Amino acid sequence: MANLALDMITTSAILFVVASGLMIILGVMKLINFAHGAFLTLGGYAAYLTTEAGLSPWLAPLLAGAVGFGVGIVVERVIVRPLYHRPLDAILATWGLGIIIGQLITIGFGREVQFAASPMTGTLDLGGIEYSAYRLTLTAVALAIGGALTALLYLTRFGLNARAVIMNETLARGLGIDSARVRLLTFGLGAGLACGAGALITPLLSVDPNMGLPWLVNSFMLVLVSGVSIPSLALASLILGSAQVAVSSYISPIIGGLTIVVLAAVLLRLYPKGLGRGT
Amino acid sequence: MSAAAADAATPALLSVEAVSAGYGGATVIDGVSLAISQGEILTVLGKNGMGKTTLMKTIMGFVKAQAGRITLAGEEVTRRPPHAMARAGVAYAPQEFTIFQDLTVEENLRVGVPDDRTFAERVDSLADVFPRMLERLKQRAGTLSGGEQKMLIMSRAVLAQPRLMLIDEISEGLQPTMIDRMAEVLRATRERNGTAVLLVEQHLSFALSVADRFAVLKLGQIVEQGPAGDPGAASVLVHHLKV
Repeated sequence: MANLALDMITTSAILFVVASGLMIILGVMKLINFAHGAFLTLGGYAAYLTTEAGLSPWLAPLLAGAVGFGVGIVVERVIVRPLYHRPLDAILATWGLGIIIGQLITIGFGREVQFAASPMTGTLDLGGIEYSAYRLTLTAVALAIGGALTALLYLTRFGLNARAVIMNETLARGLGIDSARVRLLTFGLGAGLACGAGALITPLLSVDPNMGLPWLVNSFMLVLVSGVSIPSLALASLILGSAQVAVSSYISPIIGGLTIVVLAAVLLRLYPKGLGRGT
Repeated sequence: MSAAAADAATPALLSVEAVSAGYGGATVIDGVSLAISQGEILTVLGKNGMGKTTLMKTIMGFVKAQAGRITLAGEEVTRRPPHAMARAGVAYAPQEFTIFQDLTVEENLRVGVPDDRTFAERVDSLADVFPRMLERLKQRAGTLSGGEQKMLIMSRAVLAQPRLMLIDEISEGLQPTMIDRMAEVLRATRERNGTAVLLVEQHLSFALSVADRFAVLKLGQIVEQGPAGDPGAASVLVHHLKV
C-alpha cells in the first residue's frame, strides 16, 4: 500500500514536470503548443546524446533545457509571432512543427528505440520501504520546479509583467511592458521546460521519435483541468496521476492509460473553467 | 503654467500634425492637428463617438495613423508601439479595462513604474495625493470601489512621473468631491514635474477648471480651439456639445 502511495505521488510529480511548460505557454500566450510532445522528444534525444558523449547523465536535463530554450526562441520568432493575430493558425503551426521535428529525428536517428543512462540507480530506504531513488529524486525536482516557477511569477519583474500580460495585454502594453518580449521568453521557457522534462523522464523510459505523443495528450488534459495556475496544476497532477496509478494497479494498465483522458473529461464537466477557476 | 506661457514660441512636447486614423476602412479622426507644450493641460471635448478615444489610442500607438505625423519632444513617434511610448514618458489612463483586477493595488502601481529601485520612494509620495491607496496596497484591485479604482488609475499615472499624461474621461461616474480631488492632483502633478496633460472629457466644468486650453472634436475633426480661461469658452463649448 505504501508503495502504491509512493507510485501515485511520484507519477503525479512526473506529470507536473511534463505539463508545466505547456501551462506556462498557454497562460501567457493563450496558445496550446501542440509541439510540446516533440520538444519533450527532443529532450529525450538530448539526454541520449549527452550520455552517448560520455558526459554525466546529471547534465542531461540542464543541456536539454538549454537546447529547448534556444529552439523555443527561434520557433517563437519565426513561426509563432507572425501568427499572433491568427490564433487557430498558430495552433495548427505548432502541430505541424511537432510533425516536422518528429520526422527530422527519425531521419537522424531512425525509428529504433534508444536508451539513455540513468544518473542514479537503486533504491532508498524510507522507514523500511525500499523505493526507486530516481523517482523520489524526480519528485524533489518537481517541487523545485514548482517553487522556482512560483518565485519567477510572484517575486520577479518578469513574473509581474507576465501576469499583467496574462490578465490584460493591451493595458500592459500601454504601461510600458514589451509583451512581444514577454511572449518570446515565455515560449523559450516553456520549450526549455518541455525538453528538460523529456530528459528527466528518459531514464524511466526508452527514447523513440514518438515518445512525446502520449505525454502531449496527458499534458493537454492536465492543463485543461487545472487552468493557468501552478497550485491547480499540482492538484490536477495529483488527482489524475493517482487515479492512473490506481486503475493501472487494480484494474488494467491498458485502462489505466486512458484514465487521465476520461477523468479529465468528467472533471471538466464539473469544473468547466478548470480547477483554478472553480465552477 | 498659464495659457499664455503655452504660446507658439514654446516648443511643443507633443505635436499631432494632420493625423487621420480609424479602424479597418473607416476613418474616425480626420486630419487632426494639435500641440501641447511642457506643463500644459489641453482638454479635448466632444460628444460620444466623435473620435476622442481614437485620438488617444492613435497617439499612444494602439491605432495606426493612416496619415499625418506625431512627434514627442521633437522626435517622430508616429509608428511607435504602445510600450515604447510609455517608456518614452507617456502615461496612458484609458477609459475601459483600466486596472489588473487580480493583481494587488501595489502590483498595479509597480507595473506602471519602470524602475523597481525607486518604487518604494514613489509610493510613499502617494501620502500627499491619495493616502487611501497606501492603506489598500495589499488589497486585490478588483475589490476596490469604483472611485478607488479611479484613484488607482490616477496614482499609477502619477507614479510613472511622465512627461505627458493621456487621461481618458477620468471623471466619468465620480462624485463631485472626487472630481475636485482629481483636478487638484492633475494641477499638482503639472506643477511638481512639469507634466503635460491631454485630457479627454465630457465633464465640461471639470475640464475647464484644470485646462489651459480646450479643443472640440466633432466627427473626427477639430472644429474649435481656444484658451480655457476665456469668459466665453463655456458657452461656446455648451453649444458644440449640444449640437
